[in-house]
Amino acid sequence: MSAVITVKSLSKAYRYARRRGGFFEAFSPEHVIVEAVAGVDFEIGAGERVAIIGPNGAGKSTTLKMLSGILEPSSGEASVLGLTPWKQRKALAYKIGVVFGQRSQLWGELPARESFALLRHIYDQEAAPFAKRLGELTERFALADLLDQPVHRMSLGQRMRCEITASLLHGPNLLFLDEPTIGLDVTAKAAIRDFIREHARDHGQTVLLTSHDTRDIELVCDRVIVVNQGRIVVDQPTDQLRRRFLGRKIITFQSAGQGVSLDLPGVTRRASEAHATILEVDTRLTRVEQVIAAALADGGIEDVTIEDPPMEEVIAEIYASTHAA
Amino acid sequence: MRRDLTAAAQALRIGAGQGLAGWTVLAGRCLFYVLIMTVLSALWDKVAAEPVAGAIPLPKGDLVLYVLATEWITLALPSVHLRFEDDIRSGGLEPHLLRPKFYLLQSLAQSLGGTLVRLAALGVTAVAWLAATGRAGPPPAAYPYLAVLGVLAVTVGMLLYATAGLCAFWARRILPFQLVIQKLMFLLGGLFAPISLYPDWLRKIGEVTPFAAHLYWAGIQALHPSGTMFLKAAAWQVLWIALLSLLCVALWRAGLAKVLREGGV
Amino acid sequence: MIGSLRLYAAQSAAAIRTSFSDRGNFAIQVGGMLLNDVFFLTLWVLFFAGFRSIGGWGLSDMALLFGLTMSVVGVSGVFFGGYRDMAATLLRGELDALLTQPKGLISRLLVRESIATAWGDLAGAVFVLAVFAKLSWSDLPVLLLGIAAGTTVYVSAAISFASLAFWAAGARSFARDLTDFTLLFSSYPGSIYQGAVKAIAFTILPAGFVVLAPMGMVRHPSGETLGLVAFGAVLHAGIAAALFNLGLARYRRGASPSM
Repeated sequence: MSAVITVKSLSKAYRYARRRGGFFEAFSPEHVIVEAVAGVDFEIGAGERVAIIGPNGAGKSTTLKMLSGILEPSSGEASVLGLTPWKQRKALAYKIGVVFGQRSQLWGELPARESFALLRHIYDQEAAPFAKRLGELTERFALADLLDQPVHRMSLGQRMRCEITASLLHGPNLLFLDEPTIGLDVTAKAAIRDFIREHARDHGQTVLLTSHDTRDIELVCDRVIVVNQGRIVVDQPTDQLRRRFLGRKIITFQSAGQGVSLDLPGVTRRASEAHATILEVDTRLTRVEQVIAAALADGGIEDVTIEDPPMEEVIAEIYASTHAA
Repeated sequence: MRRDLTAAAQALRIGAGQGLAGWTVLAGRCLFYVLIMTVLSALWDKVAAEPVAGAIPLPKGDLVLYVLATEWITLALPSVHLRFEDDIRSGGLEPHLLRPKFYLLQSLAQSLGGTLVRLAALGVTAVAWLAATGRAGPPPAAYPYLAVLGVLAVTVGMLLYATAGLCAFWARRILPFQLVIQKLMFLLGGLFAPISLYPDWLRKIGEVTPFAAHLYWAGIQALHPSGTMFLKAAAWQVLWIALLSLLCVALWRAGLAKVLREGGV
Repeated sequence: MIGSLRLYAAQSAAAIRTSFSDRGNFAIQVGGMLLNDVFFLTLWVLFFAGFRSIGGWGLSDMALLFGLTMSVVGVSGVFFGGYRDMAATLLRGELDALLTQPKGLISRLLVRESIATAWGDLAGAVFVLAVFAKLSWSDLPVLLLGIAAGTTVYVSAAISFASLAFWAAGARSFARDLTDFTLLFSSYPGSIYQGAVKAIAFTILPAGFVVLAPMGMVRHPSGETLGLVAFGAVLHAGIAAALFNLGLARYRRGASPSM
């Protein structure tokens, strides 16, 4: 497996002027240096799908920006598809696709089809292969009815499908996705995840994504890099991480009477409120449906919600366990 | 009510702080003031130096002082219209609507805070420019009058631009509204020349408009300082601040009703 | 080169179609701008009614100046409309998406929008030039050349001013002010500028090169006036490209205020 991305002690420090109260202080601001990325090393092989996760401000987006050539690092090296991103930005741009979940690369008031046609010229694509690719993506992503709609009239999920299509039209081998499912509903998220995973698998595409959502990672990526305060805390296959941290569900039972009490392996009770019992379930030991069946048998259940543990919690745990070790 | 005013005062302070924080921009604006005064003084000096047969007589005194005052006010104005356009058009309004304080009052107070900082900085620049060019300024007794009229004048101007900005509820870009208002300020407010030099009928129209309250009354005070004129000027300005505030509130209510009815702009 | 021009044309066409997409709004924009121009013309008609002439300039000279200014603003707005809010666009971080693509930055920023009001300026320009400016058909080629050069300088200056946003967050309204005031300087009789003032009008605020130099060329076509116009265009385009790229380097180091 050849390396598509190689990163060596990559660092990025920002310098902020912190202003204190008064008028004269405005002229002599105090400078604060924040290390957004503090010497990270990793390598990503062809066809790998890797997630970078971490709390807000951990340096995920900064790393992605450096690797896509937008931002220069303070120090360190990186090679992406054999190029140094910040020095060979344009050459790299032809070979990568980038999606920023919170920024659009489409022309809002124009039909998506016209934006795509403009992107063909921006990436110097021949008409025939471009049309073929657009046809494939349209079919795979069920875009046929959307192509003639102005982008700003689309739902967020529809828009994101168009954004991802736009980033794939020039046939890149490497895809960078910054929070691709942010703000989407469950169905839209699922559609995006399936698409990214299958498309990447079929085309041997390498994917690097950042996300807040543990499901994005589980369902799309085969490897996870956890960053915190600019440093890599964990870098391992999703399977391993899933076994240790991701195979958990939070189940909340609402009940009219007293709380639910279950004695099952891998089920622990969390801080609960009146009429609500919150259980944490290790799904390797007991399956979700077993827990629910047992609770229903107990009687008095009015409502059930099943959630993934929040990303912050998972990271905190990973962080704690690696530091303990 | 009192709490609303306290919150507005806090917003004003924040606005002033923001104005100071962007001191590089503030300094640039002062430099710009010097530039434009250099040009406009060249214009008036040229007119005064080379009278043409058949031209109307110039008023007594140095017309440059008039323009110094009107530009002082013009350059201190905030782009409150852009802020409204941004907030209304980009959906930035929603977080404000969730807060218990009145968006309009809060954002106007914040804009005014920045404006007062600019007004002060530009005022110092004006005095320095007079000293550097060796021109005689208005008598010292006129300065307190000018300070009061200047503050009222920028408030009138800010409210005028606010009405343009609130048009964003109905128009995608408010630029034409703002430009029409700006040109009316220049024309009926008398940016380059006092409206007293206009034909009589136009002067009469100009005097009763908010545009004169924005520029002319403060400008004429710099040219011909007088206590009576000060009172007249302040009365016109206060009247227009009241009327324009009512207009802004009316526009806001109508616009908000539209947003709530149609779910967006 | 041809490819870039074709790409620009395609994007420009898309931007213009976008500006047309809401008919009612388009009409308000164009009408409002015409009204604005009429008020401004009135200001000067009044001025010349009072003072007759300023340093040898009469109303027809003022009309030519004004017509050129409106043409420049009109052409800039229709085809390079992104110039107007470029500082805000930069501060919003919209450059990021463009940086991940291989083609053009400045051109993409300019073409991202076509301003409807600019059609009002173009209409006003044709009217003023045809009715008040005392021109003949033989002046047309040199007039068009003057408009092209003026547009280059005006848009370049706007890019330079917008590039300040790479250094200071507050540059948004300041950049717009500078752009607007470049126009304001461009709207005064050239005869009032002398010495140091003339130098300023031709440098920091390139008002002289936006309309005064093209105007001199239209009134007195010669190698010398043509040379001055061409010099201004090249100089300001160069400054804009340099400042933008300097700012861009700063932005990509993560030192710009929006980061």
